[in-house]
Amino acid sequence: MSAIEVSDLRKSFGTVKAVDGVSFTVEAGTVTGYLGPNGAGKTTTLRCLLGLVTPTAGTALVNGRRYADLGHPLTEVGAVLEATGFHPDRTALNHLRIMCTAAGLPLQRAAEALEQVGLADVAGKRVGGFSLGMRQRLGLAAALLGHPKVFILDEPANGLDPAGIQWLRGFLRFLAHEQGAAVLVSSHVLAEVEQTVDNVVIIARGRLVRQGSLAELTSGGQTPIRVRTLDPGRLGPALERAGGEVEPAADGLLRVRGLEAERIGRIVLEEQVVVTELAQERSDLQRVFLELTEGEPVGQTVEQTAGQSEGATVA
Amino acid sequence: MKLIRAELLKLFTTRLWWIMLIVLLGYLAMVLGVVIAFAGMESGGAAPPFPARDTPEFQRIVWGQATGGGILVAVLGVTMMTTEYRYQTITGTFLVTPRRSRVVAAKLGAGVLVGLVFGLAILLLFALAVVPAVLLSGGELLVTDGGIPRIVSGVLATLVLYTLFGIGVGALVRNQIVAIVAVAVWMFVLEPLVNAVPALQPVGRWTPAGAASALTNPQADLGPVSLDYLLPAWAGAAVLLGYALVFAAVASLTTVRRDIT
Repeated sequence: MSAIEVSDLRKSFGTVKAVDGVSFTVEAGTVTGYLGPNGAGKTTTLRCLLGLVTPTAGTALVNGRRYADLGHPLTEVGAVLEATGFHPDRTALNHLRIMCTAAGLPLQRAAEALEQVGLADVAGKRVGGFSLGMRQRLGLAAALLGHPKVFILDEPANGLDPAGIQWLRGFLRFLAHEQGAAVLVSSHVLAEVEQTVDNVVIIARGRLVRQGSLAELTSGGQTPIRVRTLDPGRLGPALERAGGEVEPAADGLLRVRGLEAERIGRIVLEEQVVVTELAQERSDLQRVFLELTEGEPVGQTVEQTAGQSEGATVA
Repeated sequence: MKLIRAELLKLFTTRLWWIMLIVLLGYLAMVLGVVIAFAGMESGGAAPPFPARDTPEFQRIVWGQATGGGILVAVLGVTMMTTEYRYQTITGTFLVTPRRSRVVAAKLGAGVLVGLVFGLAILLLFALAVVPAVLLSGGELLVTDGGIPRIVSGVLATLVLYTLFGIGVGALVRNQIVAIVAVAVWMFVLEPLVNAVPALQPVGRWTPAGAASALTNPQADLGPVSLDYLLPAWAGAAVLLGYALVFAAVASLTTVRRDIT
């Protein structure tokens, strides 16, 4: 049994299909990145897993059960959703104490969790004065209260400063690789999670685009070198004669495999052609992700300015 | 039980409750001042608006005024529910307790205690005003007779039930502003109307305000306004409780089950 099991999940808001037949699993001891542009349906999927949104069809199970059927959910699943779920008037410690009380957990877990995320100093401060990054940490503290073995985090890096992101990466790896937890973390910024995740699930427009281990998706043979020239008709055949595998693209771009950058440079010199670009291409994963993200500029700006949930801005 | 404790913590870890308590006591102190000041005072030959301070009727009527706090505890009840939606703490609440109707039930349970605490605070304020007012005017203080125990317990019951009523409305109307405005319009405009116009009184006695009046009915002659149309006290309590429970139950089956996005 997988820690997280999503199968053929579908959710429509009115006529909008926010999630349209998504299936994936997350195993214990691994970090899975749930990636996609804003409005792709990530948040809706995670909220289905957490019993906050009722799926139109399909299932989203944690430890083999629906969230609502978990006896003591906080001890099985830790969730971090958007950073706004706090009463501004309440102190950080009281916020967590209320959750402990309702979940039947010992109250000292509240202080311990704040310590763990580095908020012990501000335990008695009202949340209204917290920065976005501090709220994210408080959200993470809430997720830790019941010592769960499954973590579901929606864009946890939002609002964190670079040091905070670094800390988060280490923390998620610690939870998965040292504590054996299953971690599902969504992001619309690949770079945020690329160094953290073991597996990747990419969705766009509610549909699964690609999934697999990070190694599978990034290796896939070595990445090509991009050579952009004013005279591809001359450089292309020259590179092929030297043993390269050349794939011509638009605007004088050649994608070359099987030749080192230095070798290509020498051939350019010999052929005396003008070159305007010579660079190692990004990894396969990055390319896939960029293509998806670039296709959805509208959804991105709408969501970032309005700060709304995914489902509402899926277009 | 742990859920009720959590709900009480939610209320008492923010500032709203004591702001509401101060406003409530201030408002009722004003009401008390007016009633005591004008008691037995004749104006231009007309009958006094309130019986004289040394009469048993005066004491019955004054104690009954304590239900004037009803609208504010109802608003407090509304906020106990709607604040969760306003600040999206409902997400965390439902993550801890995914069976949502249990959350509504816990809020109602906490509402009983909150209503009692506010009710006792209000009654204390009234005792501080009524006792000196009666004794200074040379009247005989009624404690265990003259219908006072019935009226005082009616006040407590009314305030508790209005708190629950507010929670029920809040569960049904998740938008805080809309819910508060709805309660205010209902209790300040509609209910006084249907309870004052004789032709509408058959309807009026089934409204929350009519039911609440039944609980504290002073059975005194209030001049032009007759209270004969009211239900018996027990029926009034049942009607008021019914509103709270029906609203909460309907909400649990509808609005509370909606997606939290």
